[in-house]
Amino acid sequence: MTRNTEGVLVVVASALAAFGVALVEFAGGETIGAQVGLTFLVFVIAFGGIHVALRTWAPDATPLLLPPVALLAAIGFLEVYRLSPYRAGLQRWWLLLAAAVTCVVLAFLSRSGLGLLRRYRNTMLLVAVGLLLLPNLPSSGPLPIRGLTQGGSRLWVVFDLGFTELHFQPAEIAKVLFVAFLAAYLADRQAALTGAHRRLGPIRIPEPRQLVPLVAVWAGSLLILIYQRDLGASLLLFLSFAALLYAATGATGYLLAGGLLAVGGGLAAWRLFDHVQRRVQAWLDPFADFADTGYQVAQGLFALGTGSLSGSGPGLGRPDLIPNAETDFIFAAVGEELGLAGSIAVLCCFALFLAAGFGIALRSRDRFRTLLAAGLTFVVGLQTFLIIGGVVRVLPLTGITLPFMSYGGSALIGNFLLLGLLARASQEERS
Amino acid sequence: MNGPIRRLALALFFCFTVLLGAVTWIQAVRADVYRSDPRNARVAIAQAGKERGVIVAADGEVLAESVPDEEDPRRFNRAYPLGPVFAHMVGYTSPIVGDGGLEAAYVDELRSRRDLTLSDIVAAILGRDLRPRSMRLTLDSRLQQLAYDALGDRAGAVVALDPRTGAILASVSKPSFDPALLGNAEAAENWEQLLQDPDRPLLDRATRELFPPGSTFKTVVAAAAIESGVATPETMFDDPAEFPLPGSTATISNFGGGLCGDGSQVDLMRAFVRSCNTVFADLAIQVGAPEIGLMAEALGFNRELDFPLPVAESAFPTGELANDDAALGQSGLGERNVRATPLQMAMVAAAIANDGVLMQPYVVDEMFDPDGNTVSTTEPEVLSEAMSQATADTLTEMMERVVTEGTGTAATVPGMRVAGKTGTAEAGQGASYPWFIAFAPVDDPQIALAVMFEPVPAEGTSETGGRVAAPVAAQLIEGWLEIRN
Repeated sequence: MTRNTEGVLVVVASALAAFGVALVEFAGGETIGAQVGLTFLVFVIAFGGIHVALRTWAPDATPLLLPPVALLAAIGFLEVYRLSPYRAGLQRWWLLLAAAVTCVVLAFLSRSGLGLLRRYRNTMLLVAVGLLLLPNLPSSGPLPIRGLTQGGSRLWVVFDLGFTELHFQPAEIAKVLFVAFLAAYLADRQAALTGAHRRLGPIRIPEPRQLVPLVAVWAGSLLILIYQRDLGASLLLFLSFAALLYAATGATGYLLAGGLLAVGGGLAAWRLFDHVQRRVQAWLDPFADFADTGYQVAQGLFALGTGSLSGSGPGLGRPDLIPNAETDFIFAAVGEELGLAGSIAVLCCFALFLAAGFGIALRSRDRFRTLLAAGLTFVVGLQTFLIIGGVVRVLPLTGITLPFMSYGGSALIGNFLLLGLLARASQEERS
Repeated sequence: MNGPIRRLALALFFCFTVLLGAVTWIQAVRADVYRSDPRNARVAIAQAGKERGVIVAADGEVLAESVPDEEDPRRFNRAYPLGPVFAHMVGYTSPIVGDGGLEAAYVDELRSRRDLTLSDIVAAILGRDLRPRSMRLTLDSRLQQLAYDALGDRAGAVVALDPRTGAILASVSKPSFDPALLGNAEAAENWEQLLQDPDRPLLDRATRELFPPGSTFKTVVAAAAIESGVATPETMFDDPAEFPLPGSTATISNFGGGLCGDGSQVDLMRAFVRSCNTVFADLAIQVGAPEIGLMAEALGFNRELDFPLPVAESAFPTGELANDDAALGQSGLGERNVRATPLQMAMVAAAIANDGVLMQPYVVDEMFDPDGNTVSTTEPEVLSEAMSQATADTLTEMMERVVTEGTGTAATVPGMRVAGKTGTAEAGQGASYPWFIAFAPVDDPQIALAVMFEPVPAEGTSETGGRVAAPVAAQLIEGWLEIRN
């Protein structure tokens, strides 16, 4: 596949987004008008812009990353538009901003290369921790920036700009910085991590001293959980760390320890928090308490089941009956209106993106780039699995966004930042 | 480093395969279950304003029909001419709160299919008729109305069956509600109000709620005793004022205290006719939990009924009672661990009436197309051969004497032989659930029924099944035979 094909596919995805909006308008009995053209324009500017940035600053980067992202964004946008045209209007602005972030990352790193990230890894860690702690700011007071509790979790920050308020979920950006930090840290420390280990029967156990970062991160993500009650983000962070440690060292002990700690932490959370218990209950039997705790999951299942094979068609289903359909449950909305065909298409797009990302990691000759590409790809894959798994009842619902598809500015910016870094890693590996 | 990354990638792709499997399971295999779940409002929303088939009673009375909207003749509103009388069975349809009752269970047949879904297109290609179907129920509007009026202002339920076929002739639950309230613009508020109502009008007490059946359960114990050869109506039992429960300090005494007979010995016939608790606690322990459990299960307890509406599973916990004679003694009186729906107890009466053969209860008689041609008819089916004809005959004789000389004399219908059994289950605070199960005429049973009232605490122990429920049964039996002739 060439860069030109990438360009064509990006335009096709933009046209699909616009066509989807047209179908929604048509289904709603509205005249097809400005929204369609505007959507096409914004998609072409956003993804065309990234395409041009790739041509300019990362000409050798794989052309396999952008098309699946563009298609996912188009499908996600269509459902957000169907659920709330107002929010879709905001989402268009976020899309432009996020694409700009990708372009800036590509332009900025084209001179210094990814090595820059490695040098400033501790700064990145500080920024990430700072971002994660932001929601703990007081909910009221003189500051123009405040924390916000929503749905039992405290993971939002509100910027009060005087004329309007901006809601922001800093964990979405912190996750990218964390992965970049850990990739750099592990690339520097690899010898120490793999060199010494003890044996416990057939299992190789890393030197206890080397487990300190793992335990620290475990404790850290548990603290996030306790303070912010954000099950999804802490699970995502923790499992990504364990996976990266394993990738860097090849020591199954880390995976084992990580798995045990995750299970232990999960059990502790289950015992300690009502809202975790409710989610587990809703997972095991969403229909037992249909009216209350199981309502969202049950509505998701109703949506998917009613959508069946071919879906109701855009604008013709009732995904608005699902609480939080445009964020956590966007996959159920897609499944209802585009059917099993749409659900599988979405899963395949993610799989394609993951394959491209892991491909970059496996081909990289530099340790840091390998770990960075693998970590970023893994984060996207795991986040997708956690939230879709929650919707289709493979896992308890964790309440995180679906990358590239859910409504939300911070999520889009975080994931497009990630896209820029992956493309840069690919460029450096190929040139 | 590439080895572990490759394994991580494989693990993720495995997870994605699981997602593919799960979403295929939900959207392809289980799709219809979720789509047609009554709590899923989507189908009702899509069907809002569309024409549906008619639901008529066995006697032709219209129970639900679609009438064109006055302002927009392309839209239809659902009307329920008899409203609350049939609310729990016929149900409701609402774009806001979803469908209920038979309107929900038969939505696929009743609905109009002018906006084609994929499965409808497939059906059309296969040459199936896609016009809305109508349905005729086994319920008789006159008997249903009679039962509705007979229950008065009290909470309670009546279920009447044709013992020879299992056709449900009437099924009433009170208090009730007007299904039209859920189809109008204020449906959401009305729904909330009905849900909050402490009298629980939405609950179908006839089929969806379990009650202690009290002494009506003695028919099951007696059936098990006679069928297993443990006792005959002539078998003599001790006649104490109080029967001590084994392994317990508790005792069983008769209703209102006193002896069953003369204080020395009493036969099973007299104990049944006078509903003596002391003898039946003794008998239940002699027969044993496994035998009573087998008979109860043959009569429909502990099993899920194949019925278009969800039915609560009546319970006789054989396993729990097998090693607890004290609990078994109390359960033999239909208290403690035994729970039954009024439908279940009507089935018990019906099985005895039908020579021991229990017929599968059904409520939909036939489906017919807009031209009036029958599309499908329900054929009566045997659910189980619960007891021998000889046992059924013996029980019939015992039940007839309950009405002629025992606790159920209030169920007497002039010029007709009626068999019945009273029940008065304790509800705490001195209040009780009055029950009566019956069938008639004895020589050619045409109706078997159960009448049950919920307790009124203020009334205290004066509320016996014989005093409160038996007259209602008599009224319905007499009414039904008048309707029939």
